[in-house]
Amino acid sequence: HGRRRQQERKPTQDELQQAKQRVDRFRALNSHVMDLKAKSVFTKDSLDATKRLLEQNTELHTVWNYRRTIFTSLDEWQSQDARQQMLDGELKFLLDIITKNIKSYWMWNHRMWALSSLPRPEWQRELALVAKLLALDARNYHGWDYRRFVVAQLKDAATDKYAVDIQEFAFTTEQINHDCANHSAWHNRSKLLPEILTQRDEDGQLQALQTENDLILNAIYTDPDDQNAWLYYDWLLDIQKSDADRCRLLRNKIAMIRELLELEEDSKRPLIELVSAYAELERLQSGSVLETEKKECLETLRRLEGIDPYRVGRYTDMSRTLSKQWALAA
Amino acid sequence: MTETFATDAKLLADKHVEFIQNLDKKQDGLEYWMTEHLRVSGIYWGLVALFLLRRPHALDHEQIISYVLSCQNADGGFGGHTNHDSHLLYTMSSVQILAMLNALDQVDGLRVTKYVLSLQTKSPMTTVCGDKWGEHDTRFAFIALAILSFFNTQDQLDVNGVVEYVRGAMNYDGGFGSKPGGESHAAQVYTSVAALALAGRLDIIDRDRLSSWLAERQLPCGGLNGRPQKLEDVCYAWWVGSALDILQRRHWIQASKLANFVLSAQDEKGGIADRPGDVADVYHTCFGIAGLALVRYPGLEEVDPVYCMPRSVVERLGLDKWQSNVPESWSQ
Repeated sequence: HGRRRQQERKPTQDELQQAKQRVDRFRALNSHVMDLKAKSVFTKDSLDATKRLLEQNTELHTVWNYRRTIFTSLDEWQSQDARQQMLDGELKFLLDIITKNIKSYWMWNHRMWALSSLPRPEWQRELALVAKLLALDARNYHGWDYRRFVVAQLKDAATDKYAVDIQEFAFTTEQINHDCANHSAWHNRSKLLPEILTQRDEDGQLQALQTENDLILNAIYTDPDDQNAWLYYDWLLDIQKSDADRCRLLRNKIAMIRELLELEEDSKRPLIELVSAYAELERLQSGSVLETEKKECLETLRRLEGIDPYRVGRYTDMSRTLSKQWALAA
Repeated sequence: MTETFATDAKLLADKHVEFIQNLDKKQDGLEYWMTEHLRVSGIYWGLVALFLLRRPHALDHEQIISYVLSCQNADGGFGGHTNHDSHLLYTMSSVQILAMLNALDQVDGLRVTKYVLSLQTKSPMTTVCGDKWGEHDTRFAFIALAILSFFNTQDQLDVNGVVEYVRGAMNYDGGFGSKPGGESHAAQVYTSVAALALAGRLDIIDRDRLSSWLAERQLPCGGLNGRPQKLEDVCYAWWVGSALDILQRRHWIQASKLANFVLSAQDEKGGIADRPGDVADVYHTCFGIAGLALVRYPGLEEVDPVYCMPRSVVERLGLDKWQSNVPESWSQ
């Protein structure tokens, strides 16, 4: 992915020689390691050979498998202290090479194996490590998946599991305050919030939902075009306790959209959200949407066909569906 | 509804065929050796492109079959190359290749079934791992169902458990992640939707929410991205397009704009890249062409959106029965 094509010129003899040497060296090392594997050689030397090969190509999952098998076959593996030392070294090795390919499934898997095999894993240190990585690339889902893995381990070992959730929730708040368009943080939050709510009493739940509402409204106002913010808002509606609460929030949503449209009347996202808000309102409380508002929705969908032509298919489908539901002429 | 394509460029079919045929000849380059571990998948990608381009015999079938069979291991699974460890990814590619080349009978379906079933874990919840080392992912849930469907052994899997696993990976935006807790990503959406199609549980999908999310993948350039804020990439023409196709919402994106984008990512010497100006590779050639086939670009064979194989092959094997799992209300 993402490699630019370059102007091709004929390579020099020198370049051809060098390229051939690179290929020969890699192939030789590869054959050597695969040969050791075929012979089930589990020694420090074969361990070293796998390291040299993996440094050159982190995607050789068969070699990662072999490396793990060597580790567990060594005598030292049986000693807690020796194992701790070996795996601490392994974690350092992984940290050195992860930058070569931050999106490598195999390397992240190997790291998880190493942590899971450590007699004394330092989960808090791993958490800090992932936080650093996410600071560099906030949307790296390998990082977030790994973070969730680490948090699960922390929770497992914790006496107060709820406290771990709270800590993680606070981490997402930090991420969002830093950049409210961090979709990965919002996503993680959507997984934590339901857990947090179950631990609170009725008042606590209302408070949490209100805080959440304020937070997402801030994101929407910051960038009304951010599709994710609206999706999160709709999800908050889903987790409300009653239809009355949902209707109230939908009315708030509509009022907010009208404010936004006053600033920019052809704003795509607020317009589509206006229609879906009315549609949902009518679905929850039949008769609560006025005829004029229904007509406005159909007119809005027509306008959207012009404003956002790529998604014409969606708007015409919605028009047809709503017209039928509301028994109006399309 | 036939789409008339007003595209600026043409599909350089002959060039792409040549590109694929030449892949195995580039043995002077380090790239060839650095990708040896996924050779089987490379062949699958090349073959799909050739079949869809209506040039299925541009590669030697017997040679490929014999090579693929050499990748099967004692555990019944297939590795990415001879003597490489088994993994579901390469087992899937292998089985798909044999299916396309009409050589499924050359492999013992029960052996392969046994391998797939060995990767299913039941506690604390049902998951399917990619290999014995334990990584689980909605990709593997789909692959397990797909591989077993080739051998009609799907009911030996805990299908309900797998469905619950996929349901657990569903998110607030209607999309699916790599595993329960994972962020929505178009490739995982495809594997999850395809898995649910095979399992007959498309009903658990929030169709409107997911269709909207998928439609929003189309950027002003006509190309598609994999999730919000990310760059367009030709391969999403497949991951997004196939999911929309199964959801019966293909018309929620602009086909000709997408086609234009894919065509603009062609290398005039052959092959398709992730985006215009980048180096072409067989993976993007496959999914670019498959994406074009989905939107019925002229001159291409029809492609099955669940299996990413020619529809004719899927029908020959009786595997198009997933279509009867599509909720009736979706066709209205």
